[in-house]
Amino acid sequence: MELPLLERAQVGDDAFYLSTAAGTADGVQASFCGLASTIALPPPPGPGEQYRFHFDMTKCIGCKCCVVACNEQNGNPADILWRRVGEIEGGTYPDTLRHYLSMGCNHCLEPTCMTGCPVDAYSKDGATGIVRHSADICIGCQYCTWNCSYGVPQYNPERGVVGKCDMCYGRLTQGQHPACVSACPEGAIRIETVKTLQWREAYRVDANSPGMPSAEDSLSTTRITLPARTPRDIRKVDLDRLRPEHPHWPLVVMTVLTQLSVGAFTSIWLLELFGAHAHRGAALIALLTAMVALCASTLHLGRPIHAARALKMWRRSWLSREVLLFTLFAIAAAGYSAALWRQFPASPLLGGLTVLFGLCGVGASARLYLVVGRPTWNSPFTILEFYLTAVLLGSGCANILSGSSATGRWGIFASGVATVIVAAVKLWSLARSAVHERRSSYSLLHTVLLNQLQSRLLLLCAGVLISGIAHAGWATALGILLLCCGELMGRYLFFVSVVPTNMATDYLSVEAA
Amino acid sequence: MTLLQWLKLKSGVDNGSAKYSYGDDPVLGFTSNRKHSERWVNSTCGYCSVGCGMQLGVRDGKVVTVRGNPDHPVNLGKLCPKGLAEHYAIDAEDRAKYPLLRKDGQLTRIGWNEAIDTLVKRFRKVQEKYGPESLGIISTGQLVTEEFYALGKLVQLGFGTSNYDGNTTLCMAAAVAGYKRSFGSDGPPGAYEDLEKADVILLIGANVAENHPILCARLEANATRTLIVADPRVTKTAMMADIYLPLKPRSDLALINAMLRVVIYEDLYDKEYVERHTTGFAELRASVERYTLEYASEITGLSTDLIHEIALLYGNAKTAFIGWTMGVNHSTKGTETVNAINNLALVTGNIGRTGASPFSITGQCNAMGTREAGFSSGLPGYRKFESEKDREELAGLWNLPFDRIPTKRGLAYPDIIEAAVSKKIRALWIIGTNPLVSFPNIDVLKHGLANLDLLVVQDGFHPTPTTELADLLLPAAIWGEKEGTYTNSERRVSKVNAAVSPPGEARSDFDIFLAVAEKLGCREELFAGWTSPVDAFDEWRRVTAGRLCDYSGITYAALEEHGGIQWPFPDSVSTTPEVARRLYSDGQFQTEDGRARLLPTQWAPFPEQPHPEFPLILNTGRTVEHWHTRTKTGGISILQRMSPRAWLEMNSVDARKLGLRAHDRVDVISARGRVKEVELRVTEIVAPGQIFLPFHFVESNANQITQSAFDPISREPNYKQCAVRVEKSSPVHT
Repeated sequence: MELPLLERAQVGDDAFYLSTAAGTADGVQASFCGLASTIALPPPPGPGEQYRFHFDMTKCIGCKCCVVACNEQNGNPADILWRRVGEIEGGTYPDTLRHYLSMGCNHCLEPTCMTGCPVDAYSKDGATGIVRHSADICIGCQYCTWNCSYGVPQYNPERGVVGKCDMCYGRLTQGQHPACVSACPEGAIRIETVKTLQWREAYRVDANSPGMPSAEDSLSTTRITLPARTPRDIRKVDLDRLRPEHPHWPLVVMTVLTQLSVGAFTSIWLLELFGAHAHRGAALIALLTAMVALCASTLHLGRPIHAARALKMWRRSWLSREVLLFTLFAIAAAGYSAALWRQFPASPLLGGLTVLFGLCGVGASARLYLVVGRPTWNSPFTILEFYLTAVLLGSGCANILSGSSATGRWGIFASGVATVIVAAVKLWSLARSAVHERRSSYSLLHTVLLNQLQSRLLLLCAGVLISGIAHAGWATALGILLLCCGELMGRYLFFVSVVPTNMATDYLSVEAA
Repeated sequence: MTLLQWLKLKSGVDNGSAKYSYGDDPVLGFTSNRKHSERWVNSTCGYCSVGCGMQLGVRDGKVVTVRGNPDHPVNLGKLCPKGLAEHYAIDAEDRAKYPLLRKDGQLTRIGWNEAIDTLVKRFRKVQEKYGPESLGIISTGQLVTEEFYALGKLVQLGFGTSNYDGNTTLCMAAAVAGYKRSFGSDGPPGAYEDLEKADVILLIGANVAENHPILCARLEANATRTLIVADPRVTKTAMMADIYLPLKPRSDLALINAMLRVVIYEDLYDKEYVERHTTGFAELRASVERYTLEYASEITGLSTDLIHEIALLYGNAKTAFIGWTMGVNHSTKGTETVNAINNLALVTGNIGRTGASPFSITGQCNAMGTREAGFSSGLPGYRKFESEKDREELAGLWNLPFDRIPTKRGLAYPDIIEAAVSKKIRALWIIGTNPLVSFPNIDVLKHGLANLDLLVVQDGFHPTPTTELADLLLPAAIWGEKEGTYTNSERRVSKVNAAVSPPGEARSDFDIFLAVAEKLGCREELFAGWTSPVDAFDEWRRVTAGRLCDYSGITYAALEEHGGIQWPFPDSVSTTPEVARRLYSDGQFQTEDGRARLLPTQWAPFPEQPHPEFPLILNTGRTVEHWHTRTKTGGISILQRMSPRAWLEMNSVDARKLGLRAHDRVDVISARGRVKEVELRVTEIVAPGQIFLPFHFVESNANQITQSAFDPISREPNYKQCAVRVEKSSPVHT
């Protein structure tokens, strides 16, 4: 009769007992409450199974012990929480309920953090199904922080890498409960095994909850037990908070400058083809711009020295593809520039290749922002905006190179008008969206970020106007400068006005941007 | 950091893997290497009075981690988030490290000799000039019992002033007074086990899920209980309830009296128990006559059916438990409400049995210790000032002339402050408390403190709003740095141990008291042979022998062995420490006739009713992440991250009326003052007409607006139910 308990103790919380204080066999523990529960870990997952979290919302009292225990376990600073507790609330006084969500990583069946990762830092452990992250492989690009619709991976600036909950892999594999499970005084968090094939159906009911993004995106494995009765209007308590996201300046610079460079090379190439002008100097400047852009992009990385690793996962990751295409673009552009200088006859061919890689690169660049976890980005507007920037700035270059020709001016005018229209339609669609995150983006843009939005439009209009009216060299140069500034501001707004999907947070929480 | 290291880090050559590495620890298991400890020290948590057993992991002279003691009977290895992060308090930046004396307006570092010398000389000077009672002492519930015992003797017998009280008066005085009036002595009668064994649990004004989360597991473990929660705010605890009573603020007394009426008039009371163990039933019966269901319904806002149902549930329960905290105590009717609770428990015989008790869930880790040993509202060992026998006993125990033992209590905390305002108190010694944040209607306190000739503050932290005003600051050791015992809510005495030395020149309060006694010249007389807390504890065991709070069977060694022992535990005890112990199981109370007193109580409206200028009712309270005035938790980054600032809860009906929206910054204004720029939370947790503000945050200090209204019996402040209005903060500041 004693045996199973003994076994449980050994596979369970055994390591949490002091060897010196083991002599409590006088029946004290048996008489006590839920605190004493030494629920055993389930046996290691068999074939077709994996570990998962079970969160019982009916038991959680929102004490946040799990949060503190997690940070202690992992030695994380306070601004990084691998386990978070959020609140949802609904009803009318006094018939009201507030519930809590305690979430680490959901160790998804189809982890989007992993599929997006350009360096293969993530792996789904074969034996346990735990989604693990390697800080040694990670280069700190933070693409996973956008890809995960739950906001699970968090960037640690001190380390230059991302980190996340690994279900205390090192503990589990030694038969110890994860820190959050051990710490919970209510027994609201447990580890279970799940048959993955069955879960592909069952998750629709069991992994979804108010206050959580849809489990559809990545097939979260966390099973959530919901209360039998919840108010119909129960919702995240943090819905009304407006907080701009991180601007990611290196990416603002990198995307705008690559688009400028691609636009410029396209103009140079077209002028070479149809105007028979070899703009050697311009090509050099455009090449330099591309180089600056690529250098800027590495500044975004936590570990720039390992930037080259980002090429690795080009078969799977749009980020890798972007890096690859822009690298090819830069090489082709260098070749093309050299060809122009040396007046190689094959230079139009190289130019064509440059433009091809460049345009594909801009496409990949835009495509990588289409992630479910960032609904405002996840729309055709992103693709349109990125290409429009290339066209607008390319037209600006063409305008200079052609000495303010009608075609150049017409190009600026058309793409400028298109940019304004796209911006207006986008705002309109955000404001009317059924998706909370999109509406919040709109709210951000017309309140907190209104000044920036206005100056973005002002810069654009001024650039278009000056380029259109004045013909002098300084005016065309000023025109493109204004256009560049406008696009930089626009891209800044692109980054800061996005509202990520996320699990509910607490009302006052200060999430690391 | 060298340039090379910086470059390595910034370039990404080094990704901090050395710092963020893991390994196996024999105690913790696989965990961050930074948490691995060389040795573990058993102790008891220094926050609330649930009294959780802890183990402090020490490496290189620092407490690097803590964990719940898996063998401690209170918490069996679990801790709340404050406890889990408690080690960070030890290394907090704003620890008081050196004695400081105000010279030319500036706090200047001095040595201990000068500090103790200054304290004694200047206190004596004030006492010589204005009389011995011109010295006031305000202590705390945070010290160890040994220190409380030493301080009580030092103050009352050494300095010869009786104007000594603790901040416990701001929190549990109503319970103390209520117990004394009903049962003849202080002392919560029940045990935590009752939460697991009761059929019906009624929690009144007690948000245990937020404030005593470790007790919730016991509620959850009790599968057959009916949990009834009475609270005007739909707290976390209310949401756990089987039956939630959203009663109007401060209407609890009417509810209990109506329940009493049903129980008595419908013949559900325990006639035999009432007959044999109580007095005053006829008066009680008469006093509750007016509390018809209709009358109570009008006052509480609850339906007559609901009140009736609750009364029947309680009256018919085999074992019924009533727990309460500040919703009851923070009230001018606090003591009476406690008496009403006791009445209800007594007439139904729900006391002294497993699962059946009236039970105050105490606040501070050792509020109980100061109540037992304190020498403030009673003599040590729950003795009474007015009892000649008690005084004789003490004089004998201490070898002092009988007339040295004071015959009446001095001023209570609020009255000490009042006396400072009227310049009757001229010098004040504040120990381990932060009244600049915690005292109601703070401007009165500031006025009083400004009047003093000398303000001495003894604290583990500096600067705090209170230490900043000190003329003399004595740096004290805190939890984790000193030895002694705490008593928790269920009267369980647990051991507190030093894991590390205090920072700088800080010393344990015990050492400071002995040094003061030495300088004062009373060390030999009062503390002969004392060098460490165990000496005080041994004397304390003798002083409590035969008393209700009998420690005589408890030794440090036994505490270490059992992790905590409930008193009474006389040396003649026949049961083991593991058995849950309750008071009054034999029906014998601490009154002269051995019977409990049934005391008539009368509901009255709370003192400051809302009116057109101040139409909202303010409620104050806590959040799980913080402790009191945040001297301890404010410097702990993980707790600050989870609860960074104050907020104001307001119902959507009121918000709409005022044109306010979620996250707006608002000012809360009462007749006393203004709390500025609090972040608004629009929520259905609070009723229309009521608002809630946490009291932890000095930046948004709720006590700028609370009132100076005190329970006439216990002197506990009526912190709750102030009339206020809310305005949108002027945008200049945002």
